[in-house]
Amino acid sequence: MIAKTKEYLIELCCAYAFVSVVGAIVNIIGGTETNNVNVLVMFASCAIATFVLFLHNLFDSVSPLVMIIVQYLVACALVGLMLWIISCFISPITPRGWFEYYRSFTIPYVLLAGYYYYRVFSDAKKQDNIIREIQEKKKAEEI
Amino acid sequence: MKLNLYEDKNNTAEHVDVYYANMRPVIRQIIDSVNSERPSLQGRPADEDLDDGESVMLDPKDIYYLDHIDRKLFAYTRDGVFRLMNTLASCEEMLWNYGFVRVSKSNLINIYKIRQLKPDLNMKVYASFDNGERICINRSYKKSFNEYLQRMRRMS
Repeated sequence: MIAKTKEYLIELCCAYAFVSVVGAIVNIIGGTETNNVNVLVMFASCAIATFVLFLHNLFDSVSPLVMIIVQYLVACALVGLMLWIISCFISPITPRGWFEYYRSFTIPYVLLAGYYYYRVFSDAKKQDNIIREIQEKKKAEEI
Repeated sequence: MKLNLYEDKNNTAEHVDVYYANMRPVIRQIIDSVNSERPSLQGRPADEDLDDGESVMLDPKDIYYLDHIDRKLFAYTRDGVFRLMNTLASCEEMLWNYGFVRVSKSNLINIYKIRQLKPDLNMKVYASFDNGERICINRSYKKSFNEYLQRMRRMS
């Protein structure tokens, strides 16, 4: 458990460092500025995303499709909790704000899930071709 | 592979010379045979009606896959299912030269017997065999399975 937590924290640090650097570059290019709340939201989003990806190991026995759906639902629940905390303690969020946030993480999630789906099929096809090649070489040796 | 056999009744020092380009699994199998280290898998029919108490010698080449269920190890062949007394880990070590690779906690499959490797719509990848059975390739074994295939390709 301690090892897993350490692993999670390292992943989180890497993810947050990457996101904050990209955010800083975008701000420099766009000439925009961020505030403390945005930085905290960014960190919470990284923590949720890293946690959801860590669930991967728990779903070893179920199909990847089920895993993707469960991970998405967990992410939705955690994002909902985060937005509720923000709206209660920091500043109220309009329905449009909720919608925008869900949309902004759903689109990349669906794109990445689609890419993962494609990779499963293409990797299986490559492995099948390698197996054919090994079998044919062995048959040739036996003749 | 060309095989030359020379019979000499007066030969007192029988020997085998192997000329090879690279150390492929088939060469290792020949070495195992000469050294009498060829894996011998003894099994008894899993079906109690067919079990007459006699052990059967199984050739690894005839086995589709090994399945570990309820602390028992079974070998699936064209002729039926046999219970083995080995452990899955020992079989993995003993049979890697013969095309056997671990694809889940309880399965070792023979890549030479795979008819097709195909994912389902739910993204689980299955290896189909000639006997119509399918074995799921577990996600956590995907990397080692891939490495094994690459190694076998290089060696063959």
